[in-house]
Amino acid sequence: MAKTTNTADAAETAGVTGAVDPQAYVAGVMAEIEEEVRLRRSSGDLPPKLERELDELFLAHSPVAGRGGDLTEALRMVDAAIFVDPVVPVASERAAGAVVKKGMRSVLLWYVGWITHQVSQFASAVSRSLHIVDGRLKELERKVEVQQVPSAAVVELPAAHHAKAWWVKPVLKTLKPVSGRIVHAASGDGWLVRQINAAGGDAYGVDPRPDLVAEGVLTVSDLRGEDVADHLRAVAPAGLGAIVLSGVVDGMASGERTQLLHLIANTLAPGGVLVVHSLSRSTWDAADAPYEADLAPGRPLRPETWKHLLDQSGYRTTVTIGPDDADYLVTAVRSSVPSSEPTPAR
Amino acid sequence: MSAAGPKSPPVAVHQFVPTLNPHDATGTHTLLLRDILRRAGWRSEIFAEAIHDDLATEAYKHWMYPDHAAAGDVVIYQFSTSSAVAGFLAERTEPLIVDFHNFTGPEHFAGWEPHTEQRAARAHDELVRLAPRAALGVADSHFNERCLRQAGYGRTAVVPVLVDYQRVATPPDARLAAELAAAKQNGGADILFVGRVVPSKGQHELVKALWAYRRLYDPAARLHLVGGTSSFAYLKALRGFANDLGLAGAVRIAGDVSDAALAAYFAAADVYLSLSAHEGFGVPLVEAMAAGVPVVARRAGAVPETVGDAALLVAGSDPLYIAAVLDRLCRDKALAQRLIDDGRRRVPQLSLDAVAPLLVAAIATVAGAPR
Repeated sequence: MAKTTNTADAAETAGVTGAVDPQAYVAGVMAEIEEEVRLRRSSGDLPPKLERELDELFLAHSPVAGRGGDLTEALRMVDAAIFVDPVVPVASERAAGAVVKKGMRSVLLWYVGWITHQVSQFASAVSRSLHIVDGRLKELERKVEVQQVPSAAVVELPAAHHAKAWWVKPVLKTLKPVSGRIVHAASGDGWLVRQINAAGGDAYGVDPRPDLVAEGVLTVSDLRGEDVADHLRAVAPAGLGAIVLSGVVDGMASGERTQLLHLIANTLAPGGVLVVHSLSRSTWDAADAPYEADLAPGRPLRPETWKHLLDQSGYRTTVTIGPDDADYLVTAVRSSVPSSEPTPAR
Repeated sequence: MSAAGPKSPPVAVHQFVPTLNPHDATGTHTLLLRDILRRAGWRSEIFAEAIHDDLATEAYKHWMYPDHAAAGDVVIYQFSTSSAVAGFLAERTEPLIVDFHNFTGPEHFAGWEPHTEQRAARAHDELVRLAPRAALGVADSHFNERCLRQAGYGRTAVVPVLVDYQRVATPPDARLAAELAAAKQNGGADILFVGRVVPSKGQHELVKALWAYRRLYDPAARLHLVGGTSSFAYLKALRGFANDLGLAGAVRIAGDVSDAALAAYFAAADVYLSLSAHEGFGVPLVEAMAAGVPVVARRAGAVPETVGDAALLVAGSDPLYIAAVLDRLCRDKALAQRLIDDGRRRVPQLSLDAVAPLLVAAIATVAGAPR
């Protein structure tokens, strides 16, 4: 390997600490070192595979907990470490040392052996228990996997989700007196957020579709690319003045809907407003329904069911049916004094 | 915050420390500061949660402080780890100065030392808890000052840690020096690192670098690791790793050593190499400079501001890259001499004579002028 010492030569020519700018000199040295590294790498002197093997070799000496979260691997390590060997090594750098150590080992073996036997037995029992837990967990995972319910996707119909849709004006009117922040989900490119803000509200949007959010942030300053439930988990209790949901609840499974309502109860201030816009079942079942309708884990509730659900939870609820019974709007004002403590759904 | 009147007894500026240990930077700093405070005219004692046997007559247990407390006392907490002292001081009313030496974050112990990991997490909570009580936060470095600011400290000052760098001028341990010299006869560079053997200090990265350096440049090179450990799991892994790489004879894990032995290691070293991932200051870096050893260090935490222009700073710990740096430094005598010269110019800026007046001035802003 060719050695490059141009900077050093330059420094020596200049009297080492004389004319060469110190920072430029060090920068030159580092550049030469980097070139040397580049040449070494390209020549295969120290292939990356070997460096990875070095890391793995060190990791092999780390404790079980240092090796990530894989239970099977952890159990393998536990099994490998179960037996506590009472026959301690006697190697020594000094010749007499090995003899002394061996003598001590012989003398103490009856004692150390008795202790290590019990420790090994205890470790075996713990390992056996962990294997049983591991087996049962795997069985549970298999069962749960089959029954797993996917999250509902955002369902958006061009006819129902736009700035001039019939339900937008009533929503703006309902939100007019609201104090505090207003969140719209799913906000898409921010079309409703823009209108609420223009009407004097303090609104922002959340939407799990990153392409729409990226498009929207060019004109709306506060759009966040996340799922509404994840977002509400991060909001302080009673931190929101109003929550507007559109295209969110239509296809939700009952568990996901219940969880969302718990989160709303936790984050909506007393006296705050919840607005739910949902497609109707007839729109959902129509031949030109969005494909999400087939894939969704649930189906839209009837408007009366929303009213029943929210009234029971301490809201004052109003339902408005849209033209041709294609969609509907549920407006619910939360009681100023919560009837019961909200249950955090985290 | 008033100066003692002419007829009052001298104001006391007492120090609290989690552990008073003669072999660590915080312990040394505390003892030096006690003497400086007394010389400046303040009364000063040390109170600690744990006291090393060798220093049993130098300090009181922290819970004994109420017996010594007097009106007008100012207290300094040498914050370096989680301790019952933090909770004790949070409940007191004396004006408090937090002298912050930083602590290794819990992430560096994850998977190695669960107990230490939890303790490190508590340290952060304690730092935050003391913020409203602190009249002043003193940091060893701007890096540490940023931690104080983030923890809510409003008034802060940066003053380097107190270290008597003359200790590296102690006559070297003759037997060890002869042993190291004999090994050198067979050729090969001596690479040195001084610091606790814990995951965050990256001794395993040093072993990797040594392996690459020996493979590519200098088959006879040796690595000396000086410092005690608080992580036996890591120490055991380090030994096993070196053995697996066939480096058992080339890596010397020396443990805690005397000042004379440390001087012998510095005298034998061709390069001081630090690949530590976290440093609140880095006292051994400056000791290496004081001993005339060229320094290569990973750019981590406060390292760049501690070494100034007097070290080669590297961005990571890639073994091939570090090996190339070591090779260059060992071959290029002009470069090594430049780093040694720059290092020797850097040390006086961090010396006791330079730092002590700064620390006294910072303390006086809370305690008033000493009488």
